[in-house]
Amino acid sequence: MKKIVKIFGGFLLLMPFLSSHAELRVVTTTQDLAAIAKVVGGSQIQVQSLTPGTRDPHFAAAKPSMIRHVFRADLLLAIGIDMEIGWLPPLLQSARNSRVQPGNPGYLDLSRVVPLLGKTSGPVSRAMGDVHAKGNPHYWLDPRNGVRMAEAIATRLGELDPAHRDAYQQRFKDFAQAIDSKLQIWRTQTAQLKDQPVIAYHKSFIYLADVFGFRIVDEVEPKPGIAPSAASLSALVKHIQDDAIGLLILEPYYERRSAHYLNEQTGVRIAVLPQSVGAFPEINNYIELFDAIVAALVNSKGK
Amino acid sequence: MDHSDIRIKRVAAAIGVLLLNPVVAVAADEAETLRQQLTDIKQQMQRLQHTYEQQINALEQRLDGLELQSEKPVATTTSPVIQSTGSSSNSDLKIGLSGLFAAGGSSVDNDALEGLQAGAHDPNQNGFTVQNVELSIGGTVGPHFDAQSSIIFQIDADGETVVELEEAFFTTRSLPWGLQIKGGQYFTEFGRQNAQHPHTWTFADQPVVLSRFFGGDGLRSQGMRASWLMPADWYSELYLGIQNPKGETVSSFLSAADEEIGGHTLIDRDARDLGDMLYSARWLNGFDFSDTLSMNIGVSGLWGPNASGTATDSAIYGADMYLKWQPTYSQRGFPFVAWHSEILKRRYEAGDPGDPARETLKDWGLFTQAVWGFKPGWVAGIRADYATADGDTSGDPLRDTRKRLSSNLTWYPSEYSKLRLQYNRDWTEHLADKTADSLWLQLEFNLGSHAAHIF
Repeated sequence: MKKIVKIFGGFLLLMPFLSSHAELRVVTTTQDLAAIAKVVGGSQIQVQSLTPGTRDPHFAAAKPSMIRHVFRADLLLAIGIDMEIGWLPPLLQSARNSRVQPGNPGYLDLSRVVPLLGKTSGPVSRAMGDVHAKGNPHYWLDPRNGVRMAEAIATRLGELDPAHRDAYQQRFKDFAQAIDSKLQIWRTQTAQLKDQPVIAYHKSFIYLADVFGFRIVDEVEPKPGIAPSAASLSALVKHIQDDAIGLLILEPYYERRSAHYLNEQTGVRIAVLPQSVGAFPEINNYIELFDAIVAALVNSKGK
Repeated sequence: MDHSDIRIKRVAAAIGVLLLNPVVAVAADEAETLRQQLTDIKQQMQRLQHTYEQQINALEQRLDGLELQSEKPVATTTSPVIQSTGSSSNSDLKIGLSGLFAAGGSSVDNDALEGLQAGAHDPNQNGFTVQNVELSIGGTVGPHFDAQSSIIFQIDADGETVVELEEAFFTTRSLPWGLQIKGGQYFTEFGRQNAQHPHTWTFADQPVVLSRFFGGDGLRSQGMRASWLMPADWYSELYLGIQNPKGETVSSFLSAADEEIGGHTLIDRDARDLGDMLYSARWLNGFDFSDTLSMNIGVSGLWGPNASGTATDSAIYGADMYLKWQPTYSQRGFPFVAWHSEILKRRYEAGDPGDPARETLKDWGLFTQAVWGFKPGWVAGIRADYATADGDTSGDPLRDTRKRLSSNLTWYPSEYSKLRLQYNRDWTEHLADKTADSLWLQLEFNLGSHAAHIF
């Protein structure tokens, strides 16, 4: 009996060492965060995204497999401003990993390092739909914010792993440069959209509009998160015709019937925009995401 | 600020005591008390000063931050900006109120409905039922603990308002080796459904077998449990718990005296030693088969004394399975298909050794339910219940052989509300007609903090 206790005790004491690992384990709530972390962290980190880019991260559920990932994480990257409010708090409660609890160095909320758009002033009520009072959380859809996020991630990785600080900073600088030169190209390619009125399905493209200079004048959803009705769609038809709106943009996971109806009634062009890395199988990194978005914007079709 | 107010009041009260009670100063030991009080006052004043300094500093910092923000040009450069955190309080308190109401009726009268809809939060009236109004408060206590509580308000079949402390417990945040301790009053982690609150159920009422084994309120009691996230290549967690075995929410064990089970009248029995406590174990595993298909599978056990005798025991075993499919692309979490099944078996020693009526009651039951979220905000569900027991139990509404088929349709107008229509068809031995049909319309609202998305 004594022997068993000794063996068992020894095993328990050894466990933290058995599970320690040379590479930093980085867990992200979305694939966009994972893509940026991968660029900055290189071979010094292991990256795992909790949600796939094909789904709206706001509506994920805390799956048991996520508990395991968060339990083992050294760094948790989150979009913040309530994007993950439905599932990250219960997940952190189950994951029993104090390193990545908010407030500790292993938790980084990237909404803190970007200028947020769409903050509501004045009273907010749920009668207004899913309003994010603290700001619109789709900020990764501006490549300039991608650079800000990359810098914050590089800084944090350097704090957690000082031995590779210079490598993280160097990779960040390369990334910032790559985005800078790409941004010129993307802007030239989308020049025709400048100042044009556009309709979005959901309030998720205001950062994209900001960087490429088009105006989002209406949404297919009458209120954020509320499905369009026959009445709201016919009001939209009138709006599209009155203001000669030429383009409707939406994420791949939204229903297409409303968009097709609007197209039939008004001829408005439809662009299905990948909103995240991984939204289409061929989008593997952050730069490819904007390549694909720009291509979809430029090649938008009638149907 | 509240704390400061309380402190000011305390200081004022202490000064009041000093001024109004000169006699106190005479006795030497009381002089000591006074000195102590003075020291306390000094300390409290210092603390107050410190608190105010901190608050002023914080306000100054926020002002600085605001000035910085207003000077900042709108995002036009690629140079990173770090914003001030701007949070006005360090509390992450979450408060929510959820109301669950039902209207409907059945082919049987209210007395018979009590046996059919045995869950205390089931719709159980021809007419209207206030099923469950739940005030939940939770948050982080500090670096080491989280805590939460749910208080239930309900109007029972006699029109009386009932208040229950449904749950109030802490959980640890930072124990090593994947361990977590939970303590307080809480739902026992047995199977998947038992620990779920009524407003998260996929059907308007609780499964038949759970009402039979765990009573109307589900199995919950005071105690502690440890859980261990095991170092496996998949999600695997082991729960071991110990709870008080007595009370009306611990049916099958030391439940309320004078009630009956299988003809045996329950006595008023207390737990005398550790051997008389309620012990629970659960092993839960989770697998992702692919990006679109995930499964949970668990086994659970319960062991404790029962009140049919002075030395009688009960044991309950269960297995549960939950399978969820969601396609690669999904809008607001839709579409999805989820399949949830549980099977439970109870072994109940009734009557002490030497009692001529001594017997072992064996009951078992299962339910299986599937729901299909076919478009955003719309879910259709179907459920089958079966429960039975050994021997002739045909007259006992809680032990007869019973089958129930339910189907429902739920509409979520937003994330914070739902409307549900449910139809139940019962085949049960204890009713004169042997069958019953019930139709319920259920409405739920949620106020306050965002509810958790349960997998």
